[in-house]
Parts: sequence; C-alpha cells; structure tokens
Amino acid sequence: MSDAIVVENLKKVYSNGVEAVRGISFSVRYGEIFGFLGPNGAGKSTTIKTIIGLLKLTEGKIVLDGFDVSKDSYKARLAKGYASQETAVDDRLTAYENIYLQGKYFHMKDSEIEKRAKELLTMFGLWERRNDLVESFSGGMMKRLDIAAALIHQPKILFLDEPTLGLDIQTRSAIWEYIKKFKENGMTIFLTTHYLEEADELSDRVAIIDHGKIMALDKPGVLKSQIGGDLITLTFAENNKNTEKFLDALKGKEGIKSVSKMENGVYSIVVEKNGDKMIPELFGIASSMNVQISSVRLKRPTLDDVYMKYTGKTIREAESSREESRKTRMITRRLKR
Amino acid sequence: MRALITDSYYVAWRELKKYFRQKTRMIVTVIQPFLWLALMGNAMSGLTNNPMAAQFLGTGNYLTFMTPGVVLMTVMFSSIFSGTTVVWDRRFGYLDKLLAAPIKRGAIPFGKMFAAAVQGLIQAVIIVIVALLFGVHFKSGILGILVILLIAMLLSFILAGFSLALSVKIKTIETLMAVINLFMMPLMFASNALFPINVMPKWLQIIAKINPITYAIIPMRDLTVSGWTQHVWLYTIVILLIDAAVMLWTNWVFKNAVSE
Repeated sequence: MSDAIVVENLKKVYSNGVEAVRGISFSVRYGEIFGFLGPNGAGKSTTIKTIIGLLKLTEGKIVLDGFDVSKDSYKARLAKGYASQETAVDDRLTAYENIYLQGKYFHMKDSEIEKRAKELLTMFGLWERRNDLVESFSGGMMKRLDIAAALIHQPKILFLDEPTLGLDIQTRSAIWEYIKKFKENGMTIFLTTHYLEEADELSDRVAIIDHGKIMALDKPGVLKSQIGGDLITLTFAENNKNTEKFLDALKGKEGIKSVSKMENGVYSIVVEKNGDKMIPELFGIASSMNVQISSVRLKRPTLDDVYMKYTGKTIREAESSREESRKTRMITRRLKR
Repeated sequence: MRALITDSYYVAWRELKKYFRQKTRMIVTVIQPFLWLALMGNAMSGLTNNPMAAQFLGTGNYLTFMTPGVVLMTVMFSSIFSGTTVVWDRRFGYLDKLLAAPIKRGAIPFGKMFAAAVQGLIQAVIIVIVALLFGVHFKSGILGILVILLIAMLLSFILAGFSLALSVKIKTIETLMAVINLFMMPLMFASNALFPINVMPKWLQIIAKINPITYAIIPMRDLTVSGWTQHVWLYTIVILLIDAAVMLWTNWVFKNAVSE
C-alpha cells in the first residue's frame, strides 16, 4: 500500500504569474501526524488548498488515499476531512444541524449520520448542547464542533489548518489530546500550525516550506539535533581562584564542543548531546577543583531554532504579516464572543 | 444529475432553516405589503379618477394595477441580496468547506437560488392574500394566481443567480451591495412595474423593453388585470429561458472561478 498523501513535483502558478509553489514533493504515511510549517507567502496555504481540492494544480500530481485528485476528485474528496482555520461552523444553525449537513455533503444516509453524530458530539462533550444554536457557543466549543463535523464521514486523512489558533491554553491542550486520540485510532493527520511547540508535541514528522520549496523534512528531534548541541550557561561565585583552570579542563573533555566567555561573567558551553546528564558531571569537576558555580541553565534547540535556520525568520515575525493579522483578529474576535 | 439535485437540496435546506428562524424578518415580510398597498395604493388611487389614466392602466382600480408591481418589487429586494450569503460563507470559511466536500459545485448556487425562490414564493403568497383583503380582483382566477406565484419564484431564481454569480468575484458585502444597487434602480424604474410603458418618455421605453423585469411583470399584470392573454404563455416561456441561462451561467462561474 502506498502512502496516505503523495505529492509529486507540485507546481502552482497563479493567473497573475505568481509562482507560489515551485515543484515540491513529499509523502505522508498512513497513521502519521505530519506537521506543515512555513511563513506567510511561503506557499503553505497554496499547497494545502491544492491538496484538498480548492485550487487546481498547474503541474505535478497529488494522490490522496490512492486517488489522484485531478482524475478521481470525488473519491479523493471522500477520503479526507478538513477543518479550516476559520472555524467554519454556521452559528445560526444548531450543533446537530451543522454536523448533519456535513454528513449530507458527504452523501451519508440519515441513519448513519445519527449514529455517528451522537458518537462524535458525545466524544467532544457537545451532546447535551446539540440542539442549541451555535451562536451561543464559546470559541473552544465551536472549534470542537468544527473538528467533529470534519470527522462525520470517518475520513482516513484529516486536514487540520491551525486547529488551536486564538484558543486559550486549556482548550488548546484538550484539542491536542483529541488529535493524539485520532492518531491512536490510525488516522493520518496533516497539521499546519503557527505554534511550534504544538508541531513539536504532536508531529511525527515536520516539513518546513519557504519560497515555494520544502526546506527541511524530518522528525522534529532529528531537525533539532542538526541545529547543534545543547547549550549550558554557567556563572561562578565571586572570588573563585580556579575558574580559568576549570574552564581549561572542560575544553579537553569528551562530548564538549566549545567553551566561551559571554558578557557579564556568563560562560557558555556547547555539548554534543544530553546536556542534562552533563550538568552533574560539571558540578563534580567544579567541586573537585574547589570552584563554586552560582547558576546554571540548560537550553536545548527548539523547533523555533530550526524554523529560524530554514526560513530566516522567527515564527512571530512570520505571523505578523498584514493579511494574517487581519485574519487572526477576525478569528479571535469570533471565538471570543 | 441526482447528486446535483440532492446536493442543491441540502444547500437550500441550510438557507431556509436560517430564514425561518429570523422572526423579525418574517414579520417584516408580512408588514411590508400592507404598507405598500395601503399607503402607495391610497396615495395614487386618485389617478384612476382620470379616465385617460384609467385607460392607460387598463383598470379603474390602481391597487389592481399595482399589486403585481408590489409582488415583483418585494421579491426583487429579497432575492437580489442572495449573493451576500456567499460573501459571508467565504469570510467564515464555510465556502471552502462546501468546496472541499464532494458535492457538485453547481449545487452551491442552485441551492441558494432555490432557497431564494421559496422565500419569494412565501412573500408573493402573503402579498396576494393582502391584496385580496384590500379588494383586488384577479381576473384570471385561482389558476392565474398560481401562475403569478410561479413567475415570482422564477424571477427570484434569476435575480438570486445574478447576485450569486457576482459574489464569486466580489469579496466584500459593501462592494456587492453597491454593485447590486447600481442595477436595482434602473431595473425597477425602467420597467412597467409601477407605471405603464406607454406613458414613459421614448428613451425610457427602449430600456424598459429590454429589461427582464418587464417580461415578468407583463404576464403578472395581464393575469391580474386582463385575464389569460397571449402574453402570459409567451413571456412565461421567456422567463423560463432566462432561468435556464442563469443556471448555466452560475454553474460555469462556480465551477471555474473558485478553482483558479
């Protein structure tokens, strides 16, 4: 069996000549959570929209669950569920009506919809509120309903576009738990997010796209380790006589890549790996040399560092484009009502 | 074909569910024809005291002349804003949800047009009832009233389709409203909805004769004032043809424009 999503040499040129995606290829395995990251204008939205059939591709091939989206678009559409970042629920319908309609859009029978809707609304804690108009729901409830609706036809592949944008921390972690549960049930999840800790926590593999090309694609751990080792920063108590000797001793030690003096009496030590295990060793050497360490900090490379390396931007800078902030404001306003 | 019909049905189902929930809108729908017929009809009724005017209007009762116009205007004002639902759906991501689903793309405009036609029908029924209460006599009888209602539906369908086709390219409600208003006034006043064509200046008569609204109002007015004339069937067929053309147009627009 091939992969859940196969993208081969995908190119998208808009009618105004803008080349948004420049021949990208990747595949997502069945049962995997695949994080898709990139700054605005990088081609991220274009790629997703092309995969789910909202845009026509200019060149290349996209296969969803074995069905070519250009040739067998009906079956490719049936194979996937999609929850957009805008939380696309109709707030003048009830929760049940929203989910019922979604079932109807996927050509399900009434009896099937009833059974499945009960299952999903119960799972997402909305069954008691099923006959209430969605306009009375909180942002978190709307988001849960939106995801529930996307699951009505039991898709093999679920596309989640910014599933926790504008949500509070509690709701966010609740959504993370649901996503993990879907994965346990064997669902393939294609996730885009602006929260790198979310991508890090959930994704089996992450792709970073910029300037219409895939810049990096691997497990988050592998990407982070490529950035460099863990960083330990130390400061010493005053009146230490053997500080220099101690630092010299560290320079020759196995597993330590570099030792350098920073500003304000702070020293930074880059270790190849397992910085947490290195710390007790450092304390051991220091006490044998009668050197007193007054503070220690360990920093591990984050996905943010990886993102920075490949896109030249931090995710916050990337987020603040005008269109994006307008969109975010609108979503946040709607969710906070 | 079957899929297209069921898909359209559920798109319409959504619109109508929401329509019937809007209590204020429903009440206004009932009040509006009362106001039109009572105020406007009353103010203009002196016109028919003039025998020449009565001859132009074809009836001695201005209300009878005006009723089809009121049906048409009410139906027009509600259906032509159908496109705003697409603008909203786009803003809240619902349009993408529809487009990503395995439904026929044409079902999106057709469902919304059908919902507009049902709303038009409801409004037309209310106006006809109010008109009967005000003593308007429909010359063609019950069957004629049914044809009037059918034409009101067909016209709603056309105007909703027109505004939906525009809404694919127009991304904000304000712009869509402005563009629609640009068409609304000429459509309304350069037709024989409120005044007969013969009394209009020549240049306005030309516009009125190419205005599709005129083709809806002529059979409606004939059915009310004169009975079953030859215009009735001819113009109803013309209206049906315009309906078919609008369907082809919206289907094409939704199939292509949204998937650039």
